[in-house]
Amino acid sequence: MNWRRFLMHRFFVVPAAVAVLVAGWNIYIAFNDGGIIEGEVRDRAGAPVPGATVIFFERNFVYYQEKQRTVTDAHGAYRFDGMQVHVGQLEARTADGRQSERRQLRLWFRAQNAEVTPLIVDARRG
Amino acid sequence: MRRAPSWPRHAIMLVVSFLMLVPFYWVVKTSLTGENIYAYPPHIVPVDPHLFHYVDVWYLIPFPRYLLNSVIVTAMAICGNLLFNTAAGYALTKQFPGRRWVVLLFLSCMLIPFQATIIPAYLITSWLGVLNSYLGTALPLLSTIICIFIFKASFEAVPRSLIDAARVDGLSEWRIIVRIMLPLSKSAIATNVILTFIWSWNAFLWPLIVIRTSEMQTLPLGLARFLSVMEDTTGALFAFVVMVLVPGLTIFLMAQKEFIRGLTTGATKG
Repeated sequence: MNWRRFLMHRFFVVPAAVAVLVAGWNIYIAFNDGGIIEGEVRDRAGAPVPGATVIFFERNFVYYQEKQRTVTDAHGAYRFDGMQVHVGQLEARTADGRQSERRQLRLWFRAQNAEVTPLIVDARRG
Repeated sequence: MRRAPSWPRHAIMLVVSFLMLVPFYWVVKTSLTGENIYAYPPHIVPVDPHLFHYVDVWYLIPFPRYLLNSVIVTAMAICGNLLFNTAAGYALTKQFPGRRWVVLLFLSCMLIPFQATIIPAYLITSWLGVLNSYLGTALPLLSTIICIFIFKASFEAVPRSLIDAARVDGLSEWRIIVRIMLPLSKSAIATNVILTFIWSWNAFLWPLIVIRTSEMQTLPLGLARFLSVMEDTTGALFAFVVMVLVPGLTIFLMAQKEFIRGLTTGATKG
């Protein structure tokens, strides 16, 4: 059999290319699926907001419901671990009643590690 | 003699191709944007396209499971088709008493729609004890009459002297099929594979009847289920459709040359 011809045939090249892509994608997932979602909360002036509560809302079939919450550290940073989600929303609230817009978070695969751009808490709402 | 210009023919082909490709484009565009299909005025070019609807489909329903089920059922149907249709097609190239009646019976069976025979087919499948199984789902497509005739036409195009020479050399009938007939009938094989793939991949009614658990559902059933459980489905629904279409399209594009040759080989023969 002419191996070179066989290896260059489209019936081999196309499935092989798909297999390589799938394998590469799964290897990437295996190294990046810690479910870590992290970011910072800042005020309008850009200063970090410590002690703010950050809430993660998970999408079910129809609406978003609260899944987990955490509190920012002294540098205004927060972190969620083991989040087995691929879509959700983030919102920050402070003790004095300020809160951020809900930030839509869409990930390329479930439990993807993600660094979110800073959530900006605005003036008191409502 | 002066040849007629080819541009009118090409212009017509371009227009026809455009008309046929617009729905495909619209499906892909909607899967990338999630734009409501009734939105007016519609956007011809995708606005803010993204691939997250595909991610939604992958995770919101057991898509990998449906895909695996479809792949297994289709692979079984293709293997069965190649085996049984080859044998039947080769037998019909032979002269035997009642051959004409067998051909007539096959042709008349083609006139009966599957919906008319679905109850006997279900009872036979039940009697065999293969309801809600891969074999039961693939069963009606394990052999198809059109493909038998495609093999018959292809085998009849093989020179008789070649088969006689093989027989003189001591080859059995099966070895003649495997060593002589099939290598000379690649286009018929490609046609069989593509047709069976499309029929099995898109089959809805039969799987709906024989499959009873969600773990055994194939992609078309998954699509129906997806429609019934999801709200705000536009983007994800069209993404699902694209994901169901892509394997069939890929196989067709890879084998289109053989497919067309297989359909036209022996097309003028009885």
